[in-house]
Amino acid sequence: MKNRLKVLRAERNWTQAELAGALDVSRQTINAIETGKFDPSLPLAFRAARLFGLRIEEIFHDEDRSSLATEIK
Amino acid sequence: MNQLKTLQNGYQSRIRTRTMRLACWNGAWLAATALMKFGPKFLWNRASVFTLLAVCLDVAVGVGMILATKKYVMELDELQQKVYLNALGITAGVALIASVPSYTVMDTYHVISFHAEIWHLLLLMGLTFIVSFLYGTWRYR
Repeated sequence: MKNRLKVLRAERNWTQAELAGALDVSRQTINAIETGKFDPSLPLAFRAARLFGLRIEEIFHDEDRSSLATEIK
Repeated sequence: MNQLKTLQNGYQSRIRTRTMRLACWNGAWLAATALMKFGPKFLWNRASVFTLLAVCLDVAVGVGMILATKKYVMELDELQQKVYLNALGITAGVALIASVPSYTVMDTYHVISFHAEIWHLLLLMGLTFIVSFLYGTWRYR
């Protein structure tokens, strides 16, 4: 799963530690999500969406679904 | 931004507190186990009543340590829970494989020159957990 967490964080000049604090997780978890090593749970994705004032699908993208859409086209 | 800074240390401080509590429980259990192991010989001259009390104390502190561990794991965030539980799973698997099929058979048929002790298994489990946990932490760093 891809995400725009790093871009959204950079737009607001937040550090990973600050974002981690706002989402009540460790900085390591934010880093792992940003680098695509770890997919967040649905509750954490909702918290991130609420924090940035966006919908979940505006932050997280399902890679399989994107490739499937490309194949169909 | 100020609100973010306020929230920043919430998770870290909670984990620090839980870690300290867990360390205290681990230390207490280690002390209770040492008392149970060496007390009969060095402190109360093998008096059964005291030995039984030491066993009860060890079990009670052990239960406290288990509950503290549970609270600690529940406090971790989802990635750290995953790393912790992966390490526990690997440790349980290694302990199962190393204990009955390998180690005790080697002892029974004198493949090894010393007796298979439960402490060896605990040591192996401890080392396996530490290595697995560090590997998991490094993997998601």
